[in-house]
Amino acid sequence: MKKALITGITGQDGSYLAELLLSQGYEVHGLIRRASTFNTQRIDHIYRDPHNGGNLYLHYGDLANAGNMTDLIYSVRPDEVYHLAAQSHVRVSFDLPEYTGDITGLGTIRILEAIRRSGIPARYYQASSSEMFGSAKPPQNEATVFQPQSPYAAAKVYSYWVTRNYREGYNMFACNGILFNHESPRRGETFVTRKITRALAAIVAGKQDSLYLGNLDAKRDWGYAPDYVAAMWKMLQLDHPDDFVIGTGEAHSVREFLDEAFGYLGLEWQKYVQIDARYFRPTEVDYLLSDYSKAHNVLHWEPRVFFRDLVRVMVDADLELIGLQSPGEGRKILETHHGRWHRWEDQILHPEG
Amino acid sequence: MKALILGVDGQDGSYLAELLLDQGYQVVGWIPKTIPVRLDHLQACIAHLTMVEGDLSHQASLNACMEEHQPDEIYCLAAPSAPYASWGNPVMVGDVAALGVARLLEAVRQMVPKACFYQASSSELFGDPLETPQSENTPFRPRNPYGVAKLYAHWMTVRYREQYGLHTVSGILFNHESPRRGLEFVTRKITHSAARIKLGLQDKLYLGDLESRRDWGFAGDYVRAMWMMLHHQPAADFVIGTGQTHAVREFCELAFATLDLDYREYVVQDERFMRPPETHQLVADPHKACYELGWQPQTSFAELVRLMVEADWRSLANADERG
Repeated sequence: MKKALITGITGQDGSYLAELLLSQGYEVHGLIRRASTFNTQRIDHIYRDPHNGGNLYLHYGDLANAGNMTDLIYSVRPDEVYHLAAQSHVRVSFDLPEYTGDITGLGTIRILEAIRRSGIPARYYQASSSEMFGSAKPPQNEATVFQPQSPYAAAKVYSYWVTRNYREGYNMFACNGILFNHESPRRGETFVTRKITRALAAIVAGKQDSLYLGNLDAKRDWGYAPDYVAAMWKMLQLDHPDDFVIGTGEAHSVREFLDEAFGYLGLEWQKYVQIDARYFRPTEVDYLLSDYSKAHNVLHWEPRVFFRDLVRVMVDADLELIGLQSPGEGRKILETHHGRWHRWEDQILHPEG
Repeated sequence: MKALILGVDGQDGSYLAELLLDQGYQVVGWIPKTIPVRLDHLQACIAHLTMVEGDLSHQASLNACMEEHQPDEIYCLAAPSAPYASWGNPVMVGDVAALGVARLLEAVRQMVPKACFYQASSSELFGDPLETPQSENTPFRPRNPYGVAKLYAHWMTVRYREQYGLHTVSGILFNHESPRRGLEFVTRKITHSAARIKLGLQDKLYLGDLESRRDWGFAGDYVRAMWMMLHHQPAADFVIGTGQTHAVREFCELAFATLDLDYREYVVQDERFMRPPETHQLVADPHKACYELGWQPQTSFAELVRLMVEADWRSLANADERG
């Protein structure tokens, strides 16, 4: 039985990846941060599910502590390490540059160094991000030069290069997945897509009457997170480690997301949305669009859920979460496009677990 | 005017301190509290410096330093310059060379936002470049943990300029040498060994690839570039180098000839010091600095070698006499 260690297992990507790996018979170990607030709701359903046969183990640890990381690698002895944990919010990184650098940047070298020193031949996945491209001209691929526009992006560039250095300097099996934005019903509530679909559900439920947003013209390549965790896994099954851009090859603005989400329910977003300058980033990344042809050719990976369907999945899930009936297209999309490991019921995650 | 130099004990810090004192600056010399430092290079000027200790790992230490001294100019030269050795302690290097700069920039933003900030970037950012020569527009491809940490610090310096409008600049300096260069660097190793051989203290000098080429300048010229850069409007980043390369063999030839020796009798190429060959030569394209700053190196390669050999010869010969 293969063993995988996932940092950031309580996050959107970590929880989907854990489901995927468990469905493939992996023993999955997750690193979680001890926090005063309860933050495991995205994996509680996996933990409770007896079909997983008790194959999920959680470990407390801190990416800021190199000794912690070394102990963890020694005790788990993983075959694969997926390093997904980060201070992942771009806007917040402007307020917490040092913390973001320590966790999102140096956390990576602490884990890589722990793996190297342990002598355990674990394969390593680094969660790199399209934010590294910043103001680079679209479309962006593996050869595009990074132009990081935030402390978050600078820390991710640091992690990207240490991953390459460990691959080239020590012959470690280490891959960078440069993932463009990927969303889902499990996306954090402060990210713009989820903020919109949650607010839409609350508006329909009569619990809210307006929604404040920042820049509506920023264009992003938005994909569906469960498709993307499959790409992570594929990278670590290659014969040779390499770096890959993962995206959908389509870019849409926040305005288009509003059109699609409100339009799906027959509403006009202009009646509800207000612009608040506080949500503008000090330096905005305007246009991210992936060229994922390398992933297509080498990994044989393709996204299954594109923009229009993604919006429907998210809107349906948030409607059901708030206790309303959904039009149900989202559920149909998942049933059509996804395998058994990924179920509609698991998308409706109540905060209380 | 008041300048704060972090890493004042090093080669560049000491030359910069002398330059700024000459220009009538009040100079605060910062050294790390947590690592023992030698103050040999500061002999000539330490009486005129205000020395302070601090810790790049602690935000509070840096904030307090800014608040107390209120510098107009800050030069961040504090990271240990040890690209290859960074493989041995990559986390520590990241904490100082990468995060240390993030903390310093925060301290500047919070405490002295009107101050000008200089970040010592290096040609290690280019690492394994895709083009030769390297300018401000060449993509970065660092190839050791030190280079990666420096790259992060570079981008943070750029971000603080563009986000907050602070006057922060990153100087991408190619190799710069002097009699104050550490003995672990090949140039100083050659001049020091040549002087020892002349004095009969040593027989042979073992080196790596003699054909390996570098863009070497004189540190005294380069600290002048730092100062000029900080006074350029608008704030911008510059590549500093000579634009010319010389082989280690040429350096040996000149160094030994200065002492009337033939390097071929003493220098041995040793496989153990060999590194994998570079695919693209590291050499600066300093045109922007030349046109926009009016900076040019004033010390030729031959002069650099001679002044380093003479300094090593003098200090070893004096020590020898003292017995």
